[in-house]
Amino acid sequence: MSAGGAFGGNRGLRPVPPEKGVFPLDHLHQCDLEKKDYLNCLKSSGHQSEKCRQFSKKYLECRMEKNLMARQDMSELGFRKETETNGETSEEKNSKRIEV
Amino acid sequence: MVGGSYAAVPLYRRFCQATGYGGTIQRRESVEEKIARHAKDGTVTEREIAVQFNADVADGMPWKFTPTQREVRVKPGESALAFYTAENRSSTPITGVSTYNVTPMKAAVYFNKIQCFCFEEQRLLPGEQIDMPVFFYIDPEFETDPRMDDINNIILSYTFFKVSED
Repeated sequence: MSAGGAFGGNRGLRPVPPEKGVFPLDHLHQCDLEKKDYLNCLKSSGHQSEKCRQFSKKYLECRMEKNLMARQDMSELGFRKETETNGETSEEKNSKRIEV
Repeated sequence: MVGGSYAAVPLYRRFCQATGYGGTIQRRESVEEKIARHAKDGTVTEREIAVQFNADVADGMPWKFTPTQREVRVKPGESALAFYTAENRSSTPITGVSTYNVTPMKAAVYFNKIQCFCFEEQRLLPGEQIDMPVFFYIDPEFETDPRMDDINNIILSYTFFKVSED
């Protein structure tokens, strides 16, 4: 890559640092399982992020547990309390089946 | 008439805050603020964007560096996770730093990195393989910008440069 291609060399937008800073690397592979679960989910659901939300949430929670990410309420990062809505949906589905 | 001009004041203030015109301090809304605002507004997005990944190393950088997944399909407003994998194939510890690029360039303004591995030096031991996550978010305002109508793919490219050899 030529020198112009690096930091700010592109005409237009300069690279912007990440909002919450840098992820420390997981040198001890402490969250490997959670990462694998997420990636396997992506593979089997057409790479749709929404379908694998619970796995990406688990991965980030793992990081928080192992001090590889600042602790924060997951809803602030875009993870709504899905357990409630999932419960409601399956209940609705069940009641519909009974009625039919 | 009076009502009209009165209403214009808060609008002007918001405009100034967002753009920095008129000497007010420019304050960019953080991703968390955006997420909270759109959650409150009940913003719904429908367009699925395929985010694809490129990985490169500069000349003389003896790392293998690849995207761990082919793509992540995401709607604007959904925070999403992606990984890259790096491996130091040399026999000495190597410290590298990466920079990134988003294309098409006109979409880059809507691509927010919440957290990632870039901009800071990362050191890998000989033979060490590591996963590098990127946690990102495409602004929902992408969907209402007519200039983005023809964009269904966004490519995130990272390049690692060697900083030092220990």
